[in-house]
Amino acid sequence: MYPIKKRYITLLTVIILAFGTGIPVVKASVDQRSYNYSYWADAVPAPPAYQAVRIIDGERLGIEPLSEPNDFHVSPNRYIYVADTGNNRIIILDETFDVVDVIETFFIEGSKETFSSPQGIFVNDEQHVFIADTGNNRVVHLDANFDLIKIVEQPESELLSDQFTFRPLKVAVDYAGRLFVMADGVFDGFMEFSVDGYFTTFIGANRVRVDPIEYLWKRFATREQRSQMVNYVPTEFTNLDVNEQGFLYATNVDNSDDVIKKINARGDDILRREGYFSPIGDVRYTQTDGSSRLIDISVADYEIYSVLDSRRGRIFTYNGDGHLMYVFGGIGNRLGEFHTPIAIERYDDYFLVLDRELGEITIFTATLYGQTLNEAVRSYEQGDEELAHQLFEEVVNMNVNLEFAYTGIGKSLLQQDQYEQAMHNFEQSLDQNNYSKAYLLYRNRLLRDHFNVIMSTILGTVSVITIIVVYRKIAKRKRRVLVEQ
Amino acid sequence: MNSDNIKYPFHLTTHPFQGFWDLKYERNTRINLTISFFILFSLIVTNVLSNQYAGFIVNIYNPEEMNSLMEIVYVLIPVLFWCTANWSLTTLMDGEGKFVEIFIATCFALVPLVMINFPWIWLSNFISMQEAMFYYLSQSFAVIWFIFLIFVGNMTVHQYTPSKTIGTIVLTIIAMGFIAFLCLLFFSLIQQIIAFFSVIYQEIVFRY
Repeated sequence: MYPIKKRYITLLTVIILAFGTGIPVVKASVDQRSYNYSYWADAVPAPPAYQAVRIIDGERLGIEPLSEPNDFHVSPNRYIYVADTGNNRIIILDETFDVVDVIETFFIEGSKETFSSPQGIFVNDEQHVFIADTGNNRVVHLDANFDLIKIVEQPESELLSDQFTFRPLKVAVDYAGRLFVMADGVFDGFMEFSVDGYFTTFIGANRVRVDPIEYLWKRFATREQRSQMVNYVPTEFTNLDVNEQGFLYATNVDNSDDVIKKINARGDDILRREGYFSPIGDVRYTQTDGSSRLIDISVADYEIYSVLDSRRGRIFTYNGDGHLMYVFGGIGNRLGEFHTPIAIERYDDYFLVLDRELGEITIFTATLYGQTLNEAVRSYEQGDEELAHQLFEEVVNMNVNLEFAYTGIGKSLLQQDQYEQAMHNFEQSLDQNNYSKAYLLYRNRLLRDHFNVIMSTILGTVSVITIIVVYRKIAKRKRRVLVEQ
Repeated sequence: MNSDNIKYPFHLTTHPFQGFWDLKYERNTRINLTISFFILFSLIVTNVLSNQYAGFIVNIYNPEEMNSLMEIVYVLIPVLFWCTANWSLTTLMDGEGKFVEIFIATCFALVPLVMINFPWIWLSNFISMQEAMFYYLSQSFAVIWFIFLIFVGNMTVHQYTPSKTIGTIVLTIIAMGFIAFLCLLFFSLIQQIIAFFSVIYQEIVFRY
């Protein structure tokens, strides 16, 4: 009896497996590394939003292995430009991850020039390539055919000191052609260059942060002691990116609430921090491990941005309001984990992570969960409440613990005048402000609908009480009159 | 319990000087004590209910950290600490109050916290974010009223001057800190002693 039963179960399993593997969509599996933070700052397991599908390195590309690549960028036509720092070259891959071209030289007025440890790269809408040629202290601007357009070298300005040497590390270019350079040893923010390559100004300096205890020490120190101490200087940025509207997104390692900044043309930080926590990477960490060290940022469409934490190799993605959408990655040896992640790029439903020591790129694609969530946030940003509602419902069905999704559902219910359901959803996402809005509308409608009943009850009660009081007075007076007689 | 006993705590909150005087010199201690326990009980109930049922606008609680038994501790321990510290100090400072009298006066001073907060549990379900201001306003009002009653109660029970009462209250709060520290020290020592004996027991068991 028993063995037969066992055999049936085996058969059933085989059948399920055989049919189950035919599904083409990347399915969400149980993955302990995927989590999200709840309102109470607990790490709650979540379905993985992205899954690693492939690794590409020099060998698989059929070229010399990459040596300490530091940056890469995906152009709007989905070509991937990798700054292969150690080999002083730029590698270009097409959308199927095959090598299209390798640039090692370019020409300045007929003479051959090479790169020297280029650390940053950026490609604009017209496929113009901007390379931070760090070792040669210059930024090289090439057009789509890799012919030289201009070179930005050490700028001359009264804003800069005489000892300053221009070592560009990262570059970004906005839609108007303004060039932003993150240079080594610059504490005043990013260096902004005009379209012609002239240095115009610094933008978006980090604020100086003073440790109160250290400040107290300095107050008591003598001048000689003070000169020996470290100066307060603003922290440097670690990376930057530009979105379609020309806003700069920057990361630093300040250990504060604004490690991610969205900088407008005036240099103000305008990042929305409406989530349960400021976007800072990990919210919970031990003192020995330290907070997340954000070293790269990638802005995608519809305000969604991702940051890379080099300390734990995790990638955090936030929506425009600052809600944490999902986390994936990690340090390790399995597929989907990294050794020294240095740069990330995000486009469509793909995610690329560049590893410096291993010289390889890990390709991630969105799972069904990730796709739905991305699509929900996109349609919400577009103002398509109906679709956003439907997609957020689907997301919540896959992950009931994703609290901010309920705000999305609630807001679209509010648009459809379904106040009670909206209130319920805002309660799920612990969103008191929106709950209050929904409640006021709900209460007004309730009062208006039942105005007759409420008013007649109040008037009725008042008149009944008055009648009783008047009657009692009259009765008392009568009694008194009787007594007096 | 007749209706006078039910009315008395409310009478005391509105006429504190007269009320505390009568409480000490005119009224039956046994009945006062019963009312005091009832007030403590209603304060605990109010706190538990407001954790669970106060409106979402003013009350976000973590269901994983909610513990109604702890609410009992949060009420009883401070009251007991206060009474012990106050009694210990005032016996040295020519206070006329006995421990029972201090306890009763303290409990009667808690009445505004119940009287104002209890209706708000229900009311807070019908307010918006802007109207929540009134909620917080009346909460602070309840606390201020409570502090005033504790002050008057202390003054009457011990027959102090106002300035001496303020001084005693400050000292009492400091003494409460000392008591808390001593309790922690005591418990941690007990814990270590228990751990020590249990380790010895384990050693013996493993050996033989």
